[in-house]
Amino acid sequence: MAELEKIKKEKQRKRYADAPVFTDKASYRPDDVNETGLCFVGHEISEDGKAMNQFLHYDQLYTIRHGWNSPFFKGLLDGKIMGTRCPICKDTWVPVRTHCWNLDCDLAKTEWVEMPLTAKVHTWTVAGWSGRSSLKRLPIVLVYAVIGESKVAIANELHQIEPWNVEFNMPLKVVFRPKKERKGIITDFHFEPAEGWEPGPMTEEKERIQNLIEPVYKWVSTLK
Amino acid sequence: MTRKVCIIGGATTPFDYGPTGFESIEGGAAECMKETQKDVPDFHLRDIDLMVYSHFSVHFGHQLCSEWIIHDHLGLVGLPHFRVENGGNTGGSALYAAALAVMSGHHDVVGVVGWETMDSVSQSQGSEFIALASDIRYELLVGGIYPIYYAAMANKWMKDNQVTEEDVATIGAKNRNNAMNNPKAQWYRNEHKYITVDDVMESRLISYPIKKYDCCLMTRGVAGVIVCSEEYAKKVNPDGYCTIDGIGLSSCTIRAGDRLNFPGWTERYGKGYPEMTEFAACRNSAEQAYKMADITDPLKEIDFGEIHDAFSTSEAQIYKALGLADEESIAQFLRDESTHMHGEIPMNPGGGLMGYGHPVGATGLMSTIECYYQLADLTRKKHLSKKTVVSDANCGIVNSHAGTGTSISNFILRRG
Repeated sequence: MAELEKIKKEKQRKRYADAPVFTDKASYRPDDVNETGLCFVGHEISEDGKAMNQFLHYDQLYTIRHGWNSPFFKGLLDGKIMGTRCPICKDTWVPVRTHCWNLDCDLAKTEWVEMPLTAKVHTWTVAGWSGRSSLKRLPIVLVYAVIGESKVAIANELHQIEPWNVEFNMPLKVVFRPKKERKGIITDFHFEPAEGWEPGPMTEEKERIQNLIEPVYKWVSTLK
Repeated sequence: MTRKVCIIGGATTPFDYGPTGFESIEGGAAECMKETQKDVPDFHLRDIDLMVYSHFSVHFGHQLCSEWIIHDHLGLVGLPHFRVENGGNTGGSALYAAALAVMSGHHDVVGVVGWETMDSVSQSQGSEFIALASDIRYELLVGGIYPIYYAAMANKWMKDNQVTEEDVATIGAKNRNNAMNNPKAQWYRNEHKYITVDDVMESRLISYPIKKYDCCLMTRGVAGVIVCSEEYAKKVNPDGYCTIDGIGLSSCTIRAGDRLNFPGWTERYGKGYPEMTEFAACRNSAEQAYKMADITDPLKEIDFGEIHDAFSTSEAQIYKALGLADEESIAQFLRDESTHMHGEIPMNPGGGLMGYGHPVGATGLMSTIECYYQLADLTRKKHLSKKTVVSDANCGIVNSHAGTGTSISNFILRRG
């Protein structure tokens, strides 16, 4: 009886997934990154003595558990763009969905497919400002591009182009970082113009963008 | 609507980045309630039977459940309370929750208090915190901040609708100049200057086609509003309440690129909508609010609005989603200055997010309060002159907006 109970419990435990055992580990933590937790590191008091500010530092390591999405991120390590496809309606996605978005498919579990390394620009922008961790890389050309037959567009950077030359619908190729530099994150790849693509002639808009980003180049060169 | 929902009063702290005099959130909330009591002497905190709190990011405050600090401080221990969080639409969603509570008949007087303390970190760190509401696995590392996502959407929208950088720049100038008549507005308190379209065009690039003066402000601020039954409104403020005649709340994808072919939208609006350019959740929630308020021609029937101008481009996109103009007319609608104080439907007389400020959890409530002031004839008292008073205001729209258009609410308010 006890044995039967044990088997039943084990079955219940395995109903959704076996707990993975992680063996292939990599660390690329910069030397200056430490988790300190909560730490009050200073304060200031106003001249009139009426107001006080305190400085709190908090630094925490997070584990992003990709679970069923893992093949996409693991694919990046291998230089592949993995998408998913609904076995019923055949809609395909990158970024991936582990269940179909079509309500008629009743959240059908999707299947993994390797996507081609070609894409097309849907829309674009040239960033002259960004979050703290991206400031030194400015200006950044960001495109939303459709990879292969995906039903959705994915955002990523477009390299190997003068920022003012980006065009709607231009053909792209997916380019991965060298294998040893990959981290299994979205920036393991970027887009570049497809072979043979040439920018169109100079236009008023291109000149406008040139003028807008000129100070950005100057400002970034002053960053330490 | 099962039971009429009203607003009898509300107030904000001054909005600012850095010292405001109301640094503590609980102190700010108390001052909002005190100002409301001053405007409506017959309203008392004892009358409140539910508190809804509106706060976006604990990253800024570094305090989980900070609503508990405020609730306790207001002396309301024992009353039911909960917090609503829905990105940039947190304020609108909290108002939605309060309206539902009154409509249901379960509560009569609901206090809604919202806040954000975005100056607790640097501007670039703050931008990155907000971008944690994008899909961090796919978008945070490549875009980094919301203006970049909005710029990509706006770039295509502007080309599809023949709208120019100058056209949208008029909005950046309009809202900041409106804020120059509002002493609580961050733009009035800090930069304090009137600007032109040229100033917007010459301001530094954030992400093409968005420049600095096309963007809203990062802000510390608190706002509080009292939502109630008609019976209570007539009892405590018979000559100065407004009704919430229509409410709508809708949703869209977290990643803008995912809405190109979304089955839910195709079913509702046909193939090719919303593309990556239109705010479908705004259109959808406006349709719900219009239907409830019996509005069939919004441009004619709505007198003014307080809407979510996170960017001048997105304010223009919202005009279209609200049905004030279509693909054929939107460019001319902008060139005619239709939403300036002298236009057909003034938008953001209070200054909006670009002028008043955008302390996320307080923002939708600030918009509601400014709309209420117009309908209760309080704007002249609250602003510095009658320049930003909408004459003969009887019907206003409040719009609250989140993510890349991921959650959007609309409310139709009318004079009581």
